[in-house]
Amino acid sequence: MSIAILYALVGIGLFCLGVYALMIHAHLLRKILALNIMGSGVFMVLLALAGRTEITPDPVPAAMVITGIVVAVSATALALALMLKINAITGRAELNDAEEK
Amino acid sequence: MEALSLLQWLIDGLIGIGLLWLAWRALFCPELFKAIVLFIAFGLLMTLAWVRLKAPDVALAEVAIGAGLTGALLLSSWAKLRGFDANKGMGAREKNSEQAEQKTKRPFFHGLYAIPLLLMAVGLGYGVLQLTPYATGLSAVVAENLDASGVSNPVTAVLLNFRAYDTLLEIAVLLLALIGIWSLGIRPSVREATPDPVLDLLTRFLTPLLLLVSAYLLWVGAHAPGGAFQAGSVLGAAGVLLILAGWRLPLSLAGLPLRITLVAGVSTFIVVAVLTMLGGAQLLAFPPSQASLIIFVLEITATLSIAAILAALFLGSRPDHSEKI
Amino acid sequence: MGDFLLTIPWAVVLILLPLVGAIACFLWPKKVNQLGLITLGGVFLSVVGLGAWLLENGVYHHAVGGWNAPLGIQLYADGLSLVMLGITALVGVAVSVYATAYFDRSQSERFWPLWLFLLTALNALFLSADIFNLYVTLELLGLSAVALVALGGGKAALNGAMRYLLASLLGSLLFLFGVALLYHTYGSLDLAMLSEQVESTPTVWMALGLMSAGLLLKTALFPLHFWLPPAHASAFSPISALLSALVVKASFYLLLRLWLEIFWPISGSVAGLFGVLGVMAILWGSLQALRQTRVKMLVAYSTVAQIGYLFLAFPLAMGAGVTAWNAVIYLAISHALAKAAMFMAAGNLLRFGGHDRIADLDQLAQRLPLTIAAFALAGVSFIGLPPSGGFIGKWLLLEAALMQGRWDLAVVMVLGGILAAMYIFKVLGYAFTEASKPSKVKTVPVRMEWAALLLASGAILLGFLAPLILPLLAIGTPFDAFSGNEEIMP
Repeated sequence: MSIAILYALVGIGLFCLGVYALMIHAHLLRKILALNIMGSGVFMVLLALAGRTEITPDPVPAAMVITGIVVAVSATALALALMLKINAITGRAELNDAEEK
Repeated sequence: MEALSLLQWLIDGLIGIGLLWLAWRALFCPELFKAIVLFIAFGLLMTLAWVRLKAPDVALAEVAIGAGLTGALLLSSWAKLRGFDANKGMGAREKNSEQAEQKTKRPFFHGLYAIPLLLMAVGLGYGVLQLTPYATGLSAVVAENLDASGVSNPVTAVLLNFRAYDTLLEIAVLLLALIGIWSLGIRPSVREATPDPVLDLLTRFLTPLLLLVSAYLLWVGAHAPGGAFQAGSVLGAAGVLLILAGWRLPLSLAGLPLRITLVAGVSTFIVVAVLTMLGGAQLLAFPPSQASLIIFVLEITATLSIAAILAALFLGSRPDHSEKI
Repeated sequence: MGDFLLTIPWAVVLILLPLVGAIACFLWPKKVNQLGLITLGGVFLSVVGLGAWLLENGVYHHAVGGWNAPLGIQLYADGLSLVMLGITALVGVAVSVYATAYFDRSQSERFWPLWLFLLTALNALFLSADIFNLYVTLELLGLSAVALVALGGGKAALNGAMRYLLASLLGSLLFLFGVALLYHTYGSLDLAMLSEQVESTPTVWMALGLMSAGLLLKTALFPLHFWLPPAHASAFSPISALLSALVVKASFYLLLRLWLEIFWPISGSVAGLFGVLGVMAILWGSLQALRQTRVKMLVAYSTVAQIGYLFLAFPLAMGAGVTAWNAVIYLAISHALAKAAMFMAAGNLLRFGGHDRIADLDQLAQRLPLTIAAFALAGVSFIGLPPSGGFIGKWLLLEAALMQGRWDLAVVMVLGGILAAMYIFKVLGYAFTEASKPSKVKTVPVRMEWAALLLASGAILLGFLAPLILPLLAIGTPFDAFSGNEEIMP
């Protein structure tokens, strides 16, 4: 096992933690945190596996991760705005199934 | 040599465990505010991990966007949730963000979700361990073509030349998120109180510094870690500070001039794309002799737009028609 | 002149034009309707241009930036991409015309930029051959679709949008995880290069599982359909039309591409699972549709059912490759036209009576004949009656099933048709009878009625166009992997 694999395994751990939290939490802010941590996990796998060799690091995964980080902040901003809007209307920052028609 | 590698293992092991622990705490500690602070700490530790993985460009993006801006967005949303509760009166509604958040589905279901997830983790881990031990990446191909790309930082070369089309769509995603938020018609928060004098002083001191850092990152991106996204997010952070200190864009600039700034980055990309096509070349194919100039122009407008979009994302509501829903 | 037109890179125009349109609509909100319609017109003509080019020259390749794979991103168009682009443009034009009458001033200002971003994402997705670039297009698609749902503004729409956003982001991240594994196994992101190298290893199986799960979630295949009915039913009707007709098809298209190009050789056996889920989606979706009391919810559940048909092709393609895939694409495009028409008709009902309660559709057949005709014609295609496009699709699919003696699947297809007939007639029945309490009515703009009717007629017309469309679909033989069926059969 190398350091690259170590970080990749940490990435997998983060991803699965995120999925778990996304499923069990009701509060939307937690769900958004969970998605961000999942994202970090995937980025970590993507970048860490490039380091399986000692020669120059591969710039393509780095570029992909930067793209991914920007996409993630866009999605987070939209999700937070939606959450605030839902909170303003329903008084709760949660998805409420019962009230959907 | 042995001792050094042992030390490295220790550092990386600690970072890895720290990341998992911070993530766990951020996701499962009972208080929401604490969770956000832990998430920001998580982002900072991620930055350290990127440095250890020899990806300083990613580390810069992570610290500015992943930890910094996302953290600021989360905190301000949390504050708005709280403000909303306070407005509604503390009584029965108080449960909203402090207690109700702890309410999750029944513990029985937790276990039900955890089992397949553990299996998935083991499966994924196995899949990763089965990878061939040598990297089959593209570093060699990138190095071969780096001279023709117009920049010497390989990450910038990938982002703005080899895979510039991804970057075009990525800036479009950023713009789209802002337009999507604006179309929700969120009312601007009415917080016209005089800003904190400490914050005011801090802003006066930090804004020029951030401007300088941003310009440096933009300029250095061609040959060292840095570039449009990092520079744009630092500049955007300056905008966020100004917003926090109570500064607002004058209404005369909040209409079309602001919108033009927001779209400048993606528009420059499109103009360059059309020009390359008219020149008979492939989409976004830069002639090697002019590539560095084209990339520089793309990066300047992208930096401005990214900064403006990030600051506007933080503000949340449309600055031009304040009362319209 | 003709030669000159063939030199224009239509595929690139298809991506850049709607993006330019979106930016223009954002900059000049006063002129959104004109700007938007001009953009849609341009996109439609560009699809025609691309079609002409493909007929002349075969498949289209474009190395973006002049960099070939694996360094650069490749654009790629064959018959399959063309048909998807074509149906997108067609539905897009109809929905756009409908939208100019449906939305008021301030709603149009918010609708147009988002819709044109959505169109950019759809076109970019159908043309990309790079799995990371496809991830970016998926995010662009998901975020614009969510923002469109949220335009509804009410509690239901916002809840629907949020649920959709969470599902969509989860799906994208699963997809990206797969991208990471494939990249680190083969050192390339290009579909064609991956397709040459792929072999059955645990890592590739992981990638297959992750990417398929992500895309199934986005396509809303049973049991991952939970987010679809609330989102599609609560959005404004033209937006529901776009989502049900086009957006779920985009992730299905991507799944199909991945399977055809990368995963087919290694995972024929998993296809059976898709078939089972498809069967369950048809039955569950149809039964749920029957239970609904509102037209839009019924139509949304009908989408869940119709998506099921698309997945029946996976087990059938083992022995009857090209027929099964042709069937499925035919079903997908007929569904796109018919479902868009049906949501637009539902929008007309809502506009007319102010509600879409099925039991209170007060003699609409007499009072809103064009709309009810549109609803009925679209229904004909779902039921699979001749001569509709849905009939051709189901016929081909039945043929593929019977060829292999898959009687079980054939029975489900027929049963699905009967159930569809039941829920369509449930609506139509109430539209012919008088309601207990009459409601106030508003007029429905003529454009909205005709847009729905024309699209529904298009779904019927597709039944006659098979000799025209199937050869188009065969350009570049996207389903070529299946010509040598014997090798794949166990």
